[in-house]
Amino acid sequence: MKSWVIIALLIAIPASLVCYKVFWLHYEVADVLPQKEYTITTRMTFDGHTDATRARTFVPVTDERQIIGFQEQQAPVAMRFSTEDEGQNRVAIWSGTAVPDQTTIVHTFTAQTIGLKYVVDPLLKVPASYESALRVHLQPSEYVQVDAPEIVALATKIGANTGTALERLTKIYDFTMGLETRAFKGTTDALTAARLGEASCNGKSRLFVALARSVGLPARLVGGLILAEGKKRTSHQWVEVNLGGHWVPFCPTNGHFAELPANYLVFYRGDEALFKHTSDINFDYDFSTVSKLVPSERARETLSAFNVWDLFARLKLPFSLLRTVLMLPIGALVVVLFRNVIGVPTFGTFLPALIAAAAGATGVLWGLVSLLIVLLAVVIARRATERLGLLHSPTLAILLVVVVLTMIGTSFVAERAGLLDLAKISYFPIAVMAIASERFYLALVEKGKGEAAKQLTGTLIVVLGCYIVMNSLAVQMIVSGFPEVLLFAVAANIYIGRWVGVRMLEMWRFRHLMGSAT
Amino acid sequence: MISRILNKIQRIRGGYGPVYGINRRNVELVYAKNPRRLYPYADDKILSKSCMEKAGVPTSKTLAVCRGLFEVTSTLEKLKGLDNFVIKPCQGSGGDGILITGVRDGEGWTTPKGWISDLDVHRHMANIVFGAFSSQLEDTVLIETRVRPHALFREFWDQGVCDVRIICVEDVPFIAMIRIPTSASGGKANLHQGGIGAAVDLQTGLTTRAVSKGKSCTIHPESGVKIVGRQIPMWDECISIAERASAAVPLNYVGVDIVIDETDGPLILEINARPGLEIQNINGFGLGAALENIR
Repeated sequence: MKSWVIIALLIAIPASLVCYKVFWLHYEVADVLPQKEYTITTRMTFDGHTDATRARTFVPVTDERQIIGFQEQQAPVAMRFSTEDEGQNRVAIWSGTAVPDQTTIVHTFTAQTIGLKYVVDPLLKVPASYESALRVHLQPSEYVQVDAPEIVALATKIGANTGTALERLTKIYDFTMGLETRAFKGTTDALTAARLGEASCNGKSRLFVALARSVGLPARLVGGLILAEGKKRTSHQWVEVNLGGHWVPFCPTNGHFAELPANYLVFYRGDEALFKHTSDINFDYDFSTVSKLVPSERARETLSAFNVWDLFARLKLPFSLLRTVLMLPIGALVVVLFRNVIGVPTFGTFLPALIAAAAGATGVLWGLVSLLIVLLAVVIARRATERLGLLHSPTLAILLVVVVLTMIGTSFVAERAGLLDLAKISYFPIAVMAIASERFYLALVEKGKGEAAKQLTGTLIVVLGCYIVMNSLAVQMIVSGFPEVLLFAVAANIYIGRWVGVRMLEMWRFRHLMGSAT
Repeated sequence: MISRILNKIQRIRGGYGPVYGINRRNVELVYAKNPRRLYPYADDKILSKSCMEKAGVPTSKTLAVCRGLFEVTSTLEKLKGLDNFVIKPCQGSGGDGILITGVRDGEGWTTPKGWISDLDVHRHMANIVFGAFSSQLEDTVLIETRVRPHALFREFWDQGVCDVRIICVEDVPFIAMIRIPTSASGGKANLHQGGIGAAVDLQTGLTTRAVSKGKSCTIHPESGVKIVGRQIPMWDECISIAERASAAVPLNYVGVDIVIDETDGPLILEINARPGLEIQNINGFGLGAALENIR
């Protein structure tokens, strides 16, 4: 009876806290949903010059749809780093003399971006004149030949020279989007794009800008990156048109009309080259992007209410760790359900949850593969040491050496073989691997192959279950936005702790007895 | 005769009661009857044995005790003059780490599994001391005289020891079985390792049914000896020492394991504070039904 009171309290207290937040503080799902934070690394390599060597690129700045966080750069001592503001863009410059060959410069920053969609007033007219600041965006330039007769004729031909701003833009957008997309390397000017009827993103965008300007709409090029996990060399260009005082984005290459998806990151505005450098230095570059989930501002507020978030921030601990810590009780509850309700044998109660948490760094598939590789090494090591007839503790210590060498060796081989995900096996916390190996070894020695295999299979299944639950965005959102729900887990554990029903796998074990039990 | 046994089986089968899963066993029997701090009375064979001796309950004779690595060598010296003993981990479970020897032969002993050297015995004792067979970090080695099983049990299986398990609640026996080793079980009487379980009627001491690897049987699948319908010798004494053994320890839900020695009669082998649930499959009814019978 007493436990029912406790369970009721453990449900009532967090439930009322959640209600308070939702109904009084007006929490919304989108508020507490973790957001994606990208870490972008620009890597530039070049061979030195005896003379002055210079490389410059743009670094993104924070605006209404992108927040640029932490930034850092690494360059050899010979290269002096500076940043400059050039109009609305920020330029990063590295310069120096006597720069060695194979110089590498790395610039890293974090970015959180949101997608934006604009609604263009269909009645908006094209003004007869603009203020001077905007007039520059109507002017022809080297690659945007606004005054070329062909461009003017093309604008007329596609009917972009009459109607409201929206009608004109729609025609220009449809026309440029309809052009064949070709992955030309290098710069394509507006006129060339118009003549060829095909272009890459920068050609299409220049033609878009030229046509828009020719029909009296201030327009400019935008350069940046489409964010996706992994490494690439391709940057991207699109367009902004000034409508009623607002710069509205268009991407004729990927078909975004008056909108920009969340994975577009702006590096610069204007007809610029992303990289400029001293010639003949064998310059090369690439971008690598990784993403992770970080708590939203609202979720941070919740956690800072009892100062956990602040504490983690002060200690410079990553959010992923806080998330892991918060999700572990949920993982343990999943293990309890598997063990006590279904009856799946596992290596300990916490271990599957810990393995699932550790697999967060590698992904569950490669996490389990890593675990199996290490356990296979344990089996082989057992075979080898068995013959030596060693005492127990030294055997376990040898096992640890085998585990460590296997992890490092696997990383090494996987990296050579290009299996970068498997190479991350070394991210797997050694403590978790070591405990898993010891448990497996003990099961092998004490309970035999069959039982060890059974427990291993059970553990793998439960790890999968834990991983799915612990990495579910919905559960993470609930727990990081409303950490009090962890008390629900306590309530659930009290209930399961007193549940005396027959486990599902026991129903099979005692099937001959259960059938007629009435 | 057979119809009488069948009737008996029918009677038992008619008494289906709730089957106990691990959850119910733990909450209602183990946790309720056996406070954790009292587990050593079952898990620690030396403590358990001293309780038996105080209460005058017969157990097999202790030949030596080795409490640490420092005693292993001297214990081995002591053993060199002895034959037919059993080396076991004091806190072992499931029959793991048990070494049975025969007669002294050169620099070692014969065993049911072949000759072993003094060095093997030394290493085995050292492993026990290091806790290789128990959940603890260290353990004590217990060396006892080897039991010579009663003729009936030797008939069932002569290369290992059959034991009787009687489970008592509040010192009252309520369900029983015998466990018969097979070569598949490596000579151990453990059911999950392939041993055969045979249900024993508490009142009569007759075996009523037997289960081998989850399948009902009447004969030993390897020796072909009839198992069902046999009278367990000295059954009343078995029940009596189970009651006394249960009373000798402060635990209130125990599985009492008994071996029947040819000359010494029933001896307590060990006490288990968390007896397994397979006995339900062996008897063909749940612990609930068995508990109903004694109420």
